Amino acid sequence: MLQALIDGILLGGVYGVIATGLSLVFGVLGVVNFAHAEFLMLGMYVAWFAWRWLGLDPLLGSVLSFVIVFAVGYVVQRTLIERVLKAPPAAQVFLTVGLLIAIENAALMVFGSEFRSVSVPYQVQGYRLGDIFIGAPYLYAFAAAVILAAALWLFLERSWTGRAIRAVAQDAMAATLVGVDTKRTYGLAFGLGVALTAFGGAVILPYITVSPTVGGQFVVLMFTVVVLGGLGSVAGALAGGIMVGVVQSMSTLIFPIQLQNLCLFVIFIAVLALRPQGLIKGA
Amino acid sequence: MRTLFTPSRAALLIFFVAAALLPFFVDPRGHLLRVAAMVLLFAAMAQSWNIVGGLANQISLGHAGFFGLGAYTSTLLFLKLGISPWIGMFAGAVVAGGAAVLLSIPTFRLKGHYFALATLAFAEVLRVIANSWADFTGGPVGLSIPFMGSQPAYFAFRAVSSYYWVILGLLAAVCLAFHLLASGALGYRLRAVRENENAAEVAGVNTFRVKLIASVISAALTAICGTVFAQFTFFFDPDSIFSLAGLSVRMAMIAIVGGLGTLGGPILGALFLIPLEETANAFLSSKAAGLSQFVFGVILIAAILIQPRGLMAWWPKPRRRRAEASRPAVAAPAAKGA
Amino acid sequence: MTAVLQAEGVSVTFGGLKAVDGVSFTLNAGEIVGLIGPNGAGKTTLFNALVGLQPLTSGAVRLGGETISGLKPHKVAAKGMTKTFQNAALFPDMSVLENVTTAALLRHDLKGARIKAERVLDTLGLGPIADADVQDLTFPQKALVEMARALATEPRVLLLDEVMAALTPSEMDEVMKVIRTLRDEGLALLVVEHHMRAIMALCDRLLAVNFGRLLAQGRPSEVAADPQVIEAYLGHGAAGQEGAHA
Repeated sequence: MLQALIDGILLGGVYGVIATGLSLVFGVLGVVNFAHAEFLMLGMYVAWFAWRWLGLDPLLGSVLSFVIVFAVGYVVQRTLIERVLKAPPAAQVFLTVGLLIAIENAALMVFGSEFRSVSVPYQVQGYRLGDIFIGAPYLYAFAAAVILAAALWLFLERSWTGRAIRAVAQDAMAATLVGVDTKRTYGLAFGLGVALTAFGGAVILPYITVSPTVGGQFVVLMFTVVVLGGLGSVAGALAGGIMVGVVQSMSTLIFPIQLQNLCLFVIFIAVLALRPQGLIKGA
Repeated sequence: MRTLFTPSRAALLIFFVAAALLPFFVDPRGHLLRVAAMVLLFAAMAQSWNIVGGLANQISLGHAGFFGLGAYTSTLLFLKLGISPWIGMFAGAVVAGGAAVLLSIPTFRLKGHYFALATLAFAEVLRVIANSWADFTGGPVGLSIPFMGSQPAYFAFRAVSSYYWVILGLLAAVCLAFHLLASGALGYRLRAVRENENAAEVAGVNTFRVKLIASVISAALTAICGTVFAQFTFFFDPDSIFSLAGLSVRMAMIAIVGGLGTLGGPILGALFLIPLEETANAFLSSKAAGLSQFVFGVILIAAILIQPRGLMAWWPKPRRRRAEASRPAVAAPAAKGA
Repeated sequence: MTAVLQAEGVSVTFGGLKAVDGVSFTLNAGEIVGLIGPNGAGKTTLFNALVGLQPLTSGAVRLGGETISGLKPHKVAAKGMTKTFQNAALFPDMSVLENVTTAALLRHDLKGARIKAERVLDTLGLGPIADADVQDLTFPQKALVEMARALATEPRVLLLDEVMAALTPSEMDEVMKVIRTLRDEGLALLVVEHHMRAIMALCDRLLAVNFGRLLAQGRPSEVAADPQVIEAYLGHGAAGQEGAHA
């Protein structure tokens, strides 16, 4: 029980960072990015190649994932997403769904369909505290997620760009009036959003294999986290991530492994129905 | 004076006549006829989706759920109890209609993105259940319909052309349903809900009821398409029948590329997209896995960016208004006198 | 005279803010009552609360003696009360006739609804533009079409939210004539309008609100002379109590 709780928190912290990116994009641009999980997949591939070619541990490669996917995200926003920002939701939904399909299959063409995994020395190691066993890769991924979340918070609070992003999220018109370049800020926010998720993908590489369809495993999970925390709320996404991690790991105690996701879906629909603004009132 | 034959109606009539005659001019067992049947089936699916997505503007990303319910219901009834798929088809429609009611209760207040998310999750739930409840659903392996030769009473034919005509009939029925809905009282109310829900309520429209009716009809028709698909392809598995990209998105995309909320849109969209995909598959799938799907994604993006109102936006409008704005069939002067 | 609409202590709270605070009044058949107050006084929120678009925090609304608070707007419309929206919330992709027909469907089948809609349009002089696209209409036309749509539900009580906002004086006279005719036919009208000339000329009684509270009610001349009302309109400076409402 306690074991499951700790496992859940360790998983959930990473989910939090992954979903934070999605929430940030919605909070700032007002667009639900259905293709978001594909950037997680891209981040995982970047980290995998960094490990394979450069010998970088995925925990370090994650920085590379962050940077590269940020650039990709910025370009995608400025060339595609920008053009539907004022369009009705249908256009936004289907543009990002089209992006999802295109990215997933581009990955299939470029990387092939095989599952790839890394091997790192700490993969099967762990720490034992009484009856509790903490897997090293889970612990390290969690630590990396916490560090990134702290960095994100500092960035949004302290840096000029971070404050510009928050200003645009609150009132784009007013932000323009005080001299914020909203278009550039939208691009940066989108880039940052997908980069956060890519980072999350990279740090879980030691315990999750990557393939072009890995995004599909995370789509609903990500949205569940975000909806729990309140769409657009960054702090809420982190809290929601931990809740989902705990629920997922607790549910393994009761349900067979295939039905774990079912639990998530049920929570997801229930939250959407009862409190679409999210369970957690966040920042 | 409004004539019975507007350009739109004439085009529709020509389409159905040409489609009905097609099997006489192509190889009745050939690949071309199979593709044509798929065009018609996807047009019917897109039209079913269009009732909710186009008329009520509720963006569903979960219609594969209803489609799969139709396929599973009829096939399981047949495999386990020997019930003819013709009957199973309507059982599937009832099951899907019931599912639509259940889904509507928690989601009716949701709009736009939130509704899309909830419906996406709905289809995923069904996919997970179908995969894990192996004793009943056959699990990830899927279900096969045994080949029985020609057994019309059991929805089994030898010739592709027989399936083709059934599918054409289905498309005609779905189009008729759409037309009656769009031009009837419910059509007025649905469009009002689509355009301003609060104003519709205040003008006396029970918005929940209107959306519920539309989604039940849409779900039931989609389920019927699912049964027909299962009979036509003899095989399906949970991942393909509840597929987000393969079915839920494709249905919507055909309607959007053709023209959201219009009668002709889904037909135009299917005529354009399915052959394009087939060609892409035939030429590109040997080049690299994923290329044809990649092209599919790119087309979707391009369609949204170039003409979000779809191919029908280029169709000559009969009046100043949209083609399918459902003009009164009753002549106005008669009403004046009353 | 019988009160067709009774509001009893109607309150609406958003978060901690009392947008409407214990408002009570009655409205009689064949009467035009003006609802006045500065911007943000809670007029539109009160309208929304009356027709069921906004749930009440406390209080009750009765229509013809029957409690209707808690009902959904379409139920309220069926019981006989509806409203127009501040910025003409027409259905943009529909023609004028279709807009009005949709509302007439509340009490008629499709064929009957069309006949009803045409009749309402003719009464308001909108017959010639029945087939026009609502997007092509002028402001006064839009305001009239929205009134037509509301009337097509055959209400006993009609709430008009700034229908004359963008009209020229002569257009205003036209609309006022229509409103008076409706009153003479027995309709009860509650009217929000900023234009004082129109309000004074049109209304049989006035309700003045500010900060969600009913300040005064009575004959137009009395209410207009009420010191509290004058203060609400002219600001705190007039009564020398700056910042009192902060």
